Amino acid sequence: MNAPADRSASVSGNAITVSGLSKSFGATRALHSVDFSVDFGETHALVGENGAGKSTLIRILGGVHRADSGAISIAGREHSFGSPHEAILAGVVTIPQELRMVPALSIAENIALGNPPTRALFGLLPVIDRRRMREEAQHYLQQLNFSADLDRPVHSLSFAERQLVAIAKALRLKCRIFILDEPTAALEDREIERLFAVIARMKAQGTAIIYISHRLDEIVTLADRCTVLRDGKCVATRVRGRFTTADLIEDMTGKMAEEVAAEPLEPGQPLLEEIDDRTDRMTVRRNEAIGLAGLLGSGSDRIVRRLFGITGERPQIRIAGDSVRRFARPADAIRSDIGFVPGDRSLGLVMNLSVRDNILLPSLTRDNSPLWINRKAGDVVVRELMELLDVRPRRPDLRVGSLSGGNQQKVIIAKWLARRVTTLLLDEPTHGIDIAAKMHVHALIRQFTRDGGGVIVSSSDIPELARICDTVLSVKNRRIVSRIDRREGIDENRLRASLGGTH
Amino acid sequence: MTSGANLSARLLGQIPLLTLAGLCIVTALLTDRFLSPINLSNILVQSSIMAVIAMGMTFVIIGGGFDLSVGSTAALSACVAAMVMLEAGIAAGVIAGIVAGALVGLVNGVIIAYFKVNPFITTLGTMVLVRGVVFLITGGAPVEGEYGLPSSFVVFGSMRILGIHALVWVPIILLIVLSWVLHATPFGRQIYATGGGREAAFLSGVPVQKITASTYIICGALAGVAGVMLAARLQSGQPTAGEFYELTAIAAVVLGGAALHGGEGTLYKSVIGVFIMIILGNSLNLLNVDSYWQRVAIGAVIIVAAAADSLRSKR
Repeated sequence: MNAPADRSASVSGNAITVSGLSKSFGATRALHSVDFSVDFGETHALVGENGAGKSTLIRILGGVHRADSGAISIAGREHSFGSPHEAILAGVVTIPQELRMVPALSIAENIALGNPPTRALFGLLPVIDRRRMREEAQHYLQQLNFSADLDRPVHSLSFAERQLVAIAKALRLKCRIFILDEPTAALEDREIERLFAVIARMKAQGTAIIYISHRLDEIVTLADRCTVLRDGKCVATRVRGRFTTADLIEDMTGKMAEEVAAEPLEPGQPLLEEIDDRTDRMTVRRNEAIGLAGLLGSGSDRIVRRLFGITGERPQIRIAGDSVRRFARPADAIRSDIGFVPGDRSLGLVMNLSVRDNILLPSLTRDNSPLWINRKAGDVVVRELMELLDVRPRRPDLRVGSLSGGNQQKVIIAKWLARRVTTLLLDEPTHGIDIAAKMHVHALIRQFTRDGGGVIVSSSDIPELARICDTVLSVKNRRIVSRIDRREGIDENRLRASLGGTH
Repeated sequence: MTSGANLSARLLGQIPLLTLAGLCIVTALLTDRFLSPINLSNILVQSSIMAVIAMGMTFVIIGGGFDLSVGSTAALSACVAAMVMLEAGIAAGVIAGIVAGALVGLVNGVIIAYFKVNPFITTLGTMVLVRGVVFLITGGAPVEGEYGLPSSFVVFGSMRILGIHALVWVPIILLIVLSWVLHATPFGRQIYATGGGREAAFLSGVPVQKITASTYIICGALAGVAGVMLAARLQSGQPTAGEFYELTAIAAVVLGGAALHGGEGTLYKSVIGVFIMIILGNSLNLLNVDSYWQRVAIGAVIIVAAAADSLRSKR
């Protein structure tokens, strides 16, 4: 593909300007009149809590969603993308958190994918020009200081290597505006340094970089400017050297910093004790909420999945200080009064069933005879829980798939409350839901612990853990590396430091 | 706004019934032979065997699966029932026929649920394999003994109870019992959950492998019942019987509004789908449509039903 002349010309100047951008999903307002601009040769960080609107914004810039109103101009020309392809043609490319590649194809093939160099066989039949394909791949990988066997299938590469391949692919498409979504979340320190070197080089060549990260210390060192989103609004744009991580946290959380942190509770008897010998062995007691802080790939989410019997590790677990059982499958854990709220809501709910059927699903066989479902008793339970959890709309017959993310999350919690579990395992419980629903979920979790339940939450959202947990464990490489108690005061920065940021 | 959406959703849910009514009215207007008692009774008997198969298919499809082997299974059950009956009496024959069907279902279910083989391929395999077994055990000849099947069994194939053909009572009773299983028992709701979201159901403690396997066992057993009915009607075990039954049954279930991706479907609507398929064939016959064209028409109906299914799932 040949780059249009105007794009290769300017090395400085305005790369992308967004003005008055708004977007709603149903009743949820994801973005509210956002203004934002990036220059060529600038690294512009975008921060905000989960659900603040970052992903919506970059999806609009990447052509996945269309804005309801507002304008996007690229290098001075107004654009409205109907598809990701149109965004790429305009020079905007997103390197997503989960890289989309064809695992079985080679590095060179992945780089060329979608627009491979061709030659005419017998002057007639267009075929892929494999030599040129390899040359081009070599050329762009060299720019990234990455040397690898071009014929290696991508599935044999590490995440960091695949990320470089994705960047090389974008370079080949002559993209001048890069959106990196949480690029360091799954990287080790050394790999992060390499990535930063790549970013610095691209920046020197005049590329505009939009950088999304939860690691605020990274942003302080890397970003020329930083825009903070909160509740779908742009609350501040700060310039390099004039802000600290503390400033960003204040911007991000705003009023939320004033949310009453939960009063500490005195933990009671153990509910669930893992007795296998592991570096990340867990115990949770009554009235206790344990947080697992970890970056993507640290294994913090794996702990909760293991305790629910999903990972195939068959943990041995002592229930309520009494009998020991092996959890080979979720049904074993559920029988021991444990519930699990998965990070991916589509795994928590059967989307084409009603709210009612979903709430009652885990308790179906326990609360009914095999021959007859007691509908009336079920209706009472469902009505009470929908009231208690404020599931909207109050329509038990509605397909759960038609609810908003926040309400779906409440339904997942409701189904475990219907089952009257004593321990709740949660993975990213507020990922991608709006602030009000998030507060509500936090309150529910606290209420559950106050009522004598035990909770283990895995989350990449550090402020969330600081708010709802009594103890926060930092997980790194499937090990628990530190433990912070509420009585010592859960300090977010200390937590971040324990997770090992960039230095 | 909402009431309008409700109304259209309700109408959408009744498309099978409306289609059936339309089909009957048009055929009745085009030929007076359609409403003759003999023809109607013929339609009922034909539909009753297919309805039993389609109900089993509905279980499998709601559970997120697929079964191509029902036609061969029905033939196997017919022949096994006839063979055992000649040796050990009617009751033993009937039971043996149904058990044979359930065993085929068990094999399908175990391979699909526990070895995680694609249901299409698995049941395609058992469809061919079981048909082969039928020919092997019968030597390719109809099973009817020297003096025919026991007379009281043969009578069942043609007698009437309360003025209705005895064979028609079988699907009526099964429809009542199985609808109750599907809608009023935890097992039934777990089938919907497994088909609608296997992973989510698993994480809610539903024993998805057992549930999946049991839908195939139910389907096989019902194909067995249909096979026994077939033997009573044909007064013999015919090794070639039941060909293309699987296609008619699947088409009927889809016409009845079950989703091929699982989690949706209702037994009585599948039965309506059966009536649509059978009456369509019947009316084309009555109207003297060339049998080659009949195939074209029925194929087109299947595609239209599948297209409607995919449009509906896009909402």
